[in-house]
Amino acid sequence: MQRKIKWFNRSHRSAFIVSLLFVMILGLGCDNQYYDERLKMQVQQLDSDLKDRWSTSGVVVLNTTPNGPADRAQLETGELISYVIAEYPVRSAGDFNSAMKQALDADNNFVLYLKDKPPLRIALRRRGDKMGLSVEGNGSVRVKQIQPGTPAANADIQVGDIVEKIVDERKIYSIGDYKETLGKLSKKQVTFRTSELIGVKIAAVNALGDLGDIRAIEPLVDLFKNSSEFSLRKESMSSLQRLVELSVLNDLFQQFQSADVNQLPADSLQPQQLESAAILGLLTVDRIENTATLKAPFGTQFRHRSEALYQKINEGQLAELAQEYIQIEVEPEQEIRRPCLAILGILKPVSAIDALITVLENPTEIPGIRFQAGLALSQIGEPAVDALIVAFEKGDTSTKDIVASALGGIGGAKARDRLIDALEGSTESAIQLTLVDAIAKIGDAPSIQALERQLQQYQQDDDSGVRIFLDEVFRSLEKKSM
Amino acid sequence: MKKIWLALALILFIVGCGTQNENLAKGKELIKSDKRRKEERAVREFKLALGQQVDSAEAHYLLGFYNSQEFYEPNTAEWQEASITERGKHMFLACQAEQRKYLERLVFETLRDDDLDVQNAALDALKRVYKQDDRKRLLSQLQKAVKSSDNRDRHNAHWILGHLGREDPGTIVPILVKLLEHRRTETRLNAVKALGVVGSEQAIPALAALIESGSAKWKWDREEPEVRQLAVESLGKIGGAAVPELVKIVENKGSSLRVDAIRALAVLGDEKVVVPLLEALKEQSSRDVVIPVN
Repeated sequence: MQRKIKWFNRSHRSAFIVSLLFVMILGLGCDNQYYDERLKMQVQQLDSDLKDRWSTSGVVVLNTTPNGPADRAQLETGELISYVIAEYPVRSAGDFNSAMKQALDADNNFVLYLKDKPPLRIALRRRGDKMGLSVEGNGSVRVKQIQPGTPAANADIQVGDIVEKIVDERKIYSIGDYKETLGKLSKKQVTFRTSELIGVKIAAVNALGDLGDIRAIEPLVDLFKNSSEFSLRKESMSSLQRLVELSVLNDLFQQFQSADVNQLPADSLQPQQLESAAILGLLTVDRIENTATLKAPFGTQFRHRSEALYQKINEGQLAELAQEYIQIEVEPEQEIRRPCLAILGILKPVSAIDALITVLENPTEIPGIRFQAGLALSQIGEPAVDALIVAFEKGDTSTKDIVASALGGIGGAKARDRLIDALEGSTESAIQLTLVDAIAKIGDAPSIQALERQLQQYQQDDDSGVRIFLDEVFRSLEKKSM
Repeated sequence: MKKIWLALALILFIVGCGTQNENLAKGKELIKSDKRRKEERAVREFKLALGQQVDSAEAHYLLGFYNSQEFYEPNTAEWQEASITERGKHMFLACQAEQRKYLERLVFETLRDDDLDVQNAALDALKRVYKQDDRKRLLSQLQKAVKSSDNRDRHNAHWILGHLGREDPGTIVPILVKLLEHRRTETRLNAVKALGVVGSEQAIPALAALIESGSAKWKWDREEPEVRQLAVESLGKIGGAAVPELVKIVENKGSSLRVDAIRALAVLGDEKVVVPLLEALKEQSSRDVVIPVN
């Protein structure tokens, strides 16, 4: 025994240390990248927690060697390979059996392609379970028998169906998986399924909206028009809305920019813009000290960019885009029509009046959106009054209701007189409350007189809704005048 | 001779107790009681106690702890004496008088208080200790706290270390970076947070290494996802010089932290990020790619 130990000590100690070192070096050498000699490309392991955070696993393409197989197939740097897909054409019963065996080797599911039928995804509950399908034939392979109570019996398969191929999608979790799967499968060709990280794109879209940089506009418009992903389109339009909101604050930011300061007296700035900028978190207002201070870092940086953004937004392209996509026939998603309406409300293009009236009048449109169209028209203001009055004349009750509100928001003699006519004509009893509210909002002398006449008319009628509402209106008017 | 000394010490002790603690004891009694406005009345007693014995550590500490501006008319002298800095000063004086006891009390007890003013006064006191007193002892207490098994202590220690680091990053950042190797995930988490509070460029390489460890081959080389996420947040707080590092994360298509990095960059508003963000928008959609092999 002792001799054995001595033997180990003397002759094998150095060999043992050398092999230990070799194993260690081997371990250190295995980093998180791998060059695929056959496809001529370098792949890298993904961060391991991507699987939990984004349900994505696989490897990322770091680079492809020019004119190598991967490059020729236009696999791009940065694509995430999540699946390796193996296709097994079935031309005989033997093909079918060996394909099944291979496909079920790593996981318990595969996709079965039958002639003239959509692909069937078949999953076995446990490894070793029977699929319950037998086939026959050569050249053209047909289903011979289906065992009751098996996955095959539950799927849409009939005896006599022609089997074309079996496709196995193997999920890749690591570089090790990648090497192993590619080694086992595919001799003549390799098919990868790549994953797009929508979350990253959405975050980028949102960030571009916040940054207020002119370079973001075209790519966001492109993405909005061309993406098939609803969430991306929605976020792109919201980001464009944000850019529009930022652009209209240009006057305010130019005051800071021309004085080349980050702080100005609050009372030297236009109150409405000041409030919007404070709501958007771009500056802080101190009423006691009478200061408006741009918030670092964004507010202080944005003053250098605001003019360019303003110019770009006012080229008219965005207003046109928004005008097109407020129509339900063009854009079925209400969550996109809404920001489009908001954009028109901010940019106030006179050219959008007819399109907005169409939305407002559309009985199949959601009431909230019709109301938002009315709001956008009232933001456009005076130029929209004639079109609104026409819509009022011919509209049904719900249209009249929205239009009355919009006219109240705009004000002016023309709008006011039409509203008073409607109130006193007593043909519009269904929208009486809206009319009273709209006239009160205008609030000039003829409006108040008209409301007083209404109050007299309802003097005896204590319980009527109009009377209660009128009392309320006068109470709040009194409060204001105090 | 020995007996005389003992007797003298005893006399001094009795005299000391008698004079020093009359108001102090009364104040402490009040705090324990359920009397109306007990804290306000106790504060008056602590002030009297200090009038009698100006170096009473306990009176200083309790005055710093309880003296709230709510007790006084705004802008009066008393109101000003109850400011956070003044309260911090009293807590600091307590530390100076009896360092061992009050330093530990500040770190492991005072900071745990629910009252934000008390926490801020303790922060002020500890900053003074760092500047004017036994810095080494303070740092060792804070390191003990950040390694503690109690979440409150770890959290409080990160907060204090972060603030101390703002004034002296040269000393604090290496301490925090060393803590990034601690075996307890929560300790590393708080060290990362503290580096964000410090906001010093010196921390960038250490944070970047943590972030990159996500794709390491071996599990034990990978930092926990939540620590890495916080590291990105901390880079965002450092801002300026950390922007290239954040851009690198956005450009690393295999990183799990791209969204976090994008969010951090959006807050910073740096226009350098526009191009990488536009590149991210161009990435391929999900698709099947067939590669023929010769």
